[in-house]
Amino acid sequence: MTIEFRDVHASYDENIPILKGVSFTVNDGEFVAFVGTNGAGKSTTMRLMNGLLKPESGEVLVDGVPTTQLKTSELARRVGFLFQNPDSQICCNSVREELLFGFRALGALDEEAERRVDDIIAEFNFNPNDDPFLLNRGTRQLLALASTIVVAPPVIVLDEPTTGLDFRECVKVMDIIRHLHEQGTTVIMVCHDMEVVADFAERVIVMSDGRAVDQGPTFEVLRNRHTLRQASLVPPQIVDISLGLSLMRPDLGSSLVACANTLNEMEAAVAAAAGRPEAARSKPTYATTAPGAEDAFEEGGVR
Amino acid sequence: MIEIKDFTFTYRESTEPVVKDVNLSIPDGAFVGITGAAGSGKSTLTYAMNGIIPHCYPGDFFGSVTVDGLDTCDTQLTDLSLVVGSVCQDIDSQFVASIVEDEMLYGMENFGVPHKHIEERLTRALDDMGIGDLRDRPIDSLSGGQKQKLAIASILALNPKVLMLDEPTAELDPASSVGVFELLTRYAREHGTTVVVVEQKIALLSHYADMLVIVDEGRIRFSDTPTAVLSHSDELLEIGVNCPRATTLMNRLAADGIYGGPVCRNVEEACRALAEVIA
Amino acid sequence: MKGFLEYVPGDSLLHRLNPVVKLIGAILFAVACFCTSNLVFLACMLALALAMSASCGMLRATTGLMKAVFVFSLLLAIIQILFTPSGNVLVQLPWGYIGTGSLLAALTTVIRLEAAAIPLFLTFYVTKISDMTNAAVKVLHVPYKYAFTFSSTVHFIPVFLNDMSNIMEAQTARGVEFDQGSILKKIGLMVPLCVPLLVSSVRKTNSAAIAAEVRGFNLRTRESGYKQYPFAARDFLALGLVVALLVCAICLSVLL
Repeated sequence: MTIEFRDVHASYDENIPILKGVSFTVNDGEFVAFVGTNGAGKSTTMRLMNGLLKPESGEVLVDGVPTTQLKTSELARRVGFLFQNPDSQICCNSVREELLFGFRALGALDEEAERRVDDIIAEFNFNPNDDPFLLNRGTRQLLALASTIVVAPPVIVLDEPTTGLDFRECVKVMDIIRHLHEQGTTVIMVCHDMEVVADFAERVIVMSDGRAVDQGPTFEVLRNRHTLRQASLVPPQIVDISLGLSLMRPDLGSSLVACANTLNEMEAAVAAAAGRPEAARSKPTYATTAPGAEDAFEEGGVR
Repeated sequence: MIEIKDFTFTYRESTEPVVKDVNLSIPDGAFVGITGAAGSGKSTLTYAMNGIIPHCYPGDFFGSVTVDGLDTCDTQLTDLSLVVGSVCQDIDSQFVASIVEDEMLYGMENFGVPHKHIEERLTRALDDMGIGDLRDRPIDSLSGGQKQKLAIASILALNPKVLMLDEPTAELDPASSVGVFELLTRYAREHGTTVVVVEQKIALLSHYADMLVIVDEGRIRFSDTPTAVLSHSDELLEIGVNCPRATTLMNRLAADGIYGGPVCRNVEEACRALAEVIA
Repeated sequence: MKGFLEYVPGDSLLHRLNPVVKLIGAILFAVACFCTSNLVFLACMLALALAMSASCGMLRATTGLMKAVFVFSLLLAIIQILFTPSGNVLVQLPWGYIGTGSLLAALTTVIRLEAAAIPLFLTFYVTKISDMTNAAVKVLHVPYKYAFTFSSTVHFIPVFLNDMSNIMEAQTARGVEFDQGSILKKIGLMVPLCVPLLVSSVRKTNSAAIAAEVRGFNLRTRESGYKQYPFAARDFLALGLVVALLVCAICLSVLL
C-alpha cells in the first residue's frame, strides 16, 4: 500500500502554517524514516497519514484515495499508528482485552481475531491477565505496539517508537518492527535516534521548517553535509567519524574509511588501512541479551 | 558533596529492595552521569540524594545519605531543597505558572529570597540558560528545549549547590539535547555547582560528564571516569547499557590489536585516534 | 478548546486593573444582573459587558462564549416558557398556557445570564492566574493553600483537555468511530477512556505535588509574593462603578 503526499499544506491554527508544501511517496513495503528537529513538522506529517488531520491544500493519498474522502475509522484499517506515549493508547483493564480492543473498534471481532490475539500474546510473552497500567514503561510500549500490529494493518506509522526506552527495550521493539517489515508491512517512522535510523531505515526523508528538504537512501542522505547542516542533524557516530576523517585527511579520497557507514564496515576499513585486514572479524553490532532477539541487529545498515 | 553509605531502600508497597548496599561518594563540583537499564533503581538513587526519599516516598531506609553535611533523614525536605535543586522528569507538571517570569518567581518567593535580590537572580538564571529573551512569553508557546531550559533556570535561581536532573533530554531532539548539556556544563564550571544527571543517552553522558555511575539491579556496577567505565563495553552491554558507537569501534579495534591508545568517549576523540592509526 | 479561559496578553485598561478589583467587580456585576428583572437595565448591562470585551479586544472569544451560554440559557428559557404561565394567553397548553409574560421572562433569563457571564469569563482572559491568586493572598488575605489549589486546578484544565484529546485521537486511530454517530453514542465511546485519563491525571498531580514541595511550597507566607498589587485611582473608579450598578439594580427591584 502506498502513501503519497502532493504539495501538502497543513496547520492547526490558520495563522501558523506547519507544513508548507510537502511532497513525497512511500512505496509498498518500504521502511522510511522521517528525521528533523522538533517542530520541523514530522508529527504533523504522521497525523496526516491516518487522517487525524486533513490537509488544507494539496492531497494525501493512501492507496490512491485522498484521506479527505475517508473517515478516520476507515483509515484505521489501512494505517496502524503507534503514538509516542503508550498511555494515550492503552485503555483496557487487561492485556488480552487491550489486544482485542482494536478488533472490537473495527467491528471485526471473530474467532480469527481471538486466535491472532492469542498468537501475539505468545509471541510477545505477555501475561494476558496483567493490568496494563501496572506494567513498566517499556512493556506498556510493547503492548501498545502489539495492539497496533495485531489487526495487521498494511502500513504502520510509528511516532518515535524508542523514546523513553532503555537499550534492551529499544532492541526488542525495533526487532519486532524489522520482522514486520520483512513480512511485507510498510513501515514509516519518526525517529530522533540516528543510530536506530541508520540500522533500520531504507530511505530517509529530512524535514526542516515544514518542508521535506531532502530524501533518498539512508546513508546518501545522512552523509550529505549540506542536508545535515540545514536540518541541524547530527549524523550517526560512525558516519560522523567517517566524515570527520575525510575532512582531516583529504588524501583519503574515496577510500573505504571515507565511505564506511556501519561499525563492521569501519572496523574492516581501518584494519585494511592499517595493513591488517585479517584482524577485523565481522561481529553483531549489538550483542543483545534480549530474549527472542538474538538474530536482531546482526548487521547494521541497509538490507 | 554527597556521601551515600550502605544504603538500601525498599518502597512500602514492595517486598524487594530497589537499591541494595549502595556506597557512593560524589565530590564537590563534579558533573555526574547516572545511567542503567529501566527499573535498575537509578531514579530511586536520585530521590535518595534530593530527600524525596524518605520524605515523600515511605519505605524501609537503611544506611545513610548525607548532602553537604546534612543527613537527609534528619533534615527537613525544604532545607534540603535549598542545597539540592531538582528538576523533575515531567517538567509539564512541574510548572506552576503560565508565564515564564512567574514560573521563575515561584521558588524564590517561597524560599524567601530578599525581594531586592530577586530581579538580579531572575535575569541571571534566565541568561545562564540562554533564554533571557523569553521572560514575558507564555510557557505554552515555548518549544520542548526552551521549556527544559526554563525548568532548569527556575531551579538555578535558588542558587543550589547541587543540581539534580532526571532525564532532562528525554523529550528533546538531538540538537536541543546537546544545547541543554552545553549550557549545564558551562554553568557548572562557572559556578562550581555539582551536577547529577540521570540520562538514557549514554553518548551525551560520555561526552559531558566527568564521572559515570552505572546502576544494575539496584547496585552500583561502575562509578569512575567515563574513560575507565567505557573500557568495559562488553560488561556494560550485558547489563543493558550500550556504549557510544565511537567507543565500541575503538574498543573493537583495540581487541583486534590495531589500536593501542586510551578509550575514546566521543566522535572527536575517535577521529583523532583513527587519524594516527591509519597514518 | 485551545486557549479556553486562558490569559491573553494585552495592555488595555482592563488588563491593567488590579486583579482583585477585576474579580470582585465581575462578581458584583453578576450579582447586580440577578438582583433585578428590569429588561432595559439588563440590556444596558449586556451592552456594557460587550463594550468591556471590545475594549480589550476579546470580542471574538466573547462571541464564542456567548453561544455556549446561549444554548444553556435557552434550555432554561424554554422551561420558563412552557411552565410559567403569565401575561396574555398566546398558546393554550394542556397544563397551562404560554403567555406574553412567559416570553418576556424567558428573554430576561437569556439576557441576564449572558450579561452576568461575560465579565466573569473576561476576568480570566485579561488576568494572569498567578496575578489573581497572588493578589488574593496579598490584598484579600486568602490563605495561600486555597489560592494555590485554585490556581493549579485552573492550570491543569488545559493539560487534562490536552490529554483527553490525545487519548481520543489515539482511539480514533485505532478505529473507534468518534467521527460519526450521535452524541449519545460518542459519550458511550468516551466512558472507557476515563480510565487512562484518570491514571495519567493521578501520575501528573503526584509529580506536581512533589515538584511544588521541593520548591518550598510549605514555606510560603503572605509576605512571600514578590509582585505588589497597589490600588490605583482607576481601581477605585472601577469599583465605584460596579457598586453603583449594584445599587441601581437593587433600587430598581425594590422601587419598581
